[in-house]
Amino acid sequence: MCVEVEENTACKNVKIFKEGRKLEKRESLWEAYLRRGFSRRNFLKGCVALTSLMGLSTDMLSKVVEAAETKPLPVVIWIHGHECTGCDESFIRSAAPLASDVVLTSIALEYDHLLSAACGEPFEAHLDETIQKYYGNYILAVEGAVSTKDNGVYCMSGGHTFTHLLQKAAKGAAAIIAYGSCSAYGGIQAAKPNPTGSSGIEHFVGGKTVIKVPGCPPIPEVMTGVVMHVALFGTVPPLDGDGRPKQFYGNRIHDTCYRRPFFDAGMFAENYDDAGSKAGWCLYKLGCRGPETYNSCGNIRWYQGMSYPIQSGAACIGCSNSNFWDEGPFSTRLPAYGKLGDVDKIGAGLAAATGIGVVGHAIASVIQRNNRENLLEEHEE
Amino acid sequence: MKAEKDVKRKEYYLFSPFLRIFHWIMASQIVILFVTGLLITKPMDANSTEPTFTLMSMDLVRDIHFLAAFIFTASLILRIYGFIVNKGDRLFPRVWEGHFYSETVEVALHYMLLKPHHAPFLRNPLARMSYAGLYAMVAVEILTGFAMYFMNSPFTTGGKLFGWVNTILGSEMMTHYVHHYVAWLIIVFALGHLYMVIRAEFMEGESEVSSMFSGKKILAHTPKDANELE
Repeated sequence: MCVEVEENTACKNVKIFKEGRKLEKRESLWEAYLRRGFSRRNFLKGCVALTSLMGLSTDMLSKVVEAAETKPLPVVIWIHGHECTGCDESFIRSAAPLASDVVLTSIALEYDHLLSAACGEPFEAHLDETIQKYYGNYILAVEGAVSTKDNGVYCMSGGHTFTHLLQKAAKGAAAIIAYGSCSAYGGIQAAKPNPTGSSGIEHFVGGKTVIKVPGCPPIPEVMTGVVMHVALFGTVPPLDGDGRPKQFYGNRIHDTCYRRPFFDAGMFAENYDDAGSKAGWCLYKLGCRGPETYNSCGNIRWYQGMSYPIQSGAACIGCSNSNFWDEGPFSTRLPAYGKLGDVDKIGAGLAAATGIGVVGHAIASVIQRNNRENLLEEHEE
Repeated sequence: MKAEKDVKRKEYYLFSPFLRIFHWIMASQIVILFVTGLLITKPMDANSTEPTFTLMSMDLVRDIHFLAAFIFTASLILRIYGFIVNKGDRLFPRVWEGHFYSETVEVALHYMLLKPHHAPFLRNPLARMSYAGLYAMVAVEILTGFAMYFMNSPFTTGGKLFGWVNTILGSEMMTHYVHHYVAWLIIVFALGHLYMVIRAEFMEGESEVSSMFSGKKILAHTPKDANELE
């Protein structure tokens, strides 16, 4: 049975291969594996890896295999707006699956500002062609914010504003993925006073659902996991109220942090060079944003589970949070207001002032009453 | 001043048990919540003691804070229930009645020492305004507090009930800030409230302090709103 399937698809594949991988003939992941000469065993291993990567239970493996065998590889248009392209730097470091595998065999990446070798007019023409040909069927991945001020001149692509490109590409998209905090919330350039009027892409895609994958940058495996979910199941993954995939953004870093026991026990590093810091105690007092940040750093970690900011001894800055750039300083729990200090200082001052005011008012009240009584007595006399 | 005075006093029953119990639970829990809250934001220095042997573990402080918060919220629910079943309990000042404003201004002018006295009230309109403000602050604390508390599992009922607070405020860090800032405002309110109550007792012959225990105001004068008792 298995052999038969293999032969059939192998035949088809040879044909596709000979025709030079035409756009019309979109192969499935299984077909792509066959074309490259991988075994069935390799394919199944890949499916197991994908299943766990997408945050699904192993019960779902058969469905993943089925989808990988039959679903044609999804066409992906990947555009970049107002950003630093650091998300791509993260993406290309995805190890399981390898980013190169995703780009070359798991998705049909037709247009990418950063990774494409082509450029100029033919490249832009290819974008229009792709949008037309796969209208309503392609995945749109967006990195970077929309620049809204001065008609969007601060971010141009192919002679048009990025807003124009985004709206054009979003119209025919089957699903839209917002990669990074820029496209999700506006990003660093949206920090006060936001000179370019940066904002997330949500309000520029014609009311379509945006799958937000925030992070500065997002975790590589999360990036590949989300696009593979959409590709294999053809559905939007379960999202939370903010539009983030539940399987990756359903927990606070604080609640998944390996240093959490130190927090509960009240063992805190006070400085980056003290004994607590060296012993790996909780970084809460150094302004760690783990208790407010929803991301997978605590469980997936970065670069094949090697480490994540807190593990390497730096407090989390909450880079996957909306507005994290304006919630500084990152090194304290409360912002300070110049010489006034933070709210605890101001509040204590305010309470002291209230106390002094109370005493003053009490004295004044007594004087006022005595004066009044004296006046009344004189009046009676 | 004579040691014994022959004064005729009248008794006005004003505060139901719902209100009194709520008041004292609120007062005690606010103190607990404030102290533990400050400790949660800025935990005590752990480097100086061996954490294993300290009683002030973050976990314990947080648990005390959460327990106090639940007791407080429960008593507020009881207070609202009392407001519904008891005609005499009021939650907010009667701002829809015209005389409320002129009376508030009169009281305010007296407190600013610009007027020698103000008409006596069972329910001082300016005080009532400040209580409305307190309830608003308490509501903010409860909403932001539960928004932070339940979001450790955003997809449970609690997370769904209060998660929107974080969305409205823009981010969860902002929720922490608002919770902390409003806590300070409540403390400033409490100081002012304490002073004004004691002042009314000594200066104006109101039985403000005892009435929050007994529910009754025993007064020598006739308050302006005596006819509003139900």
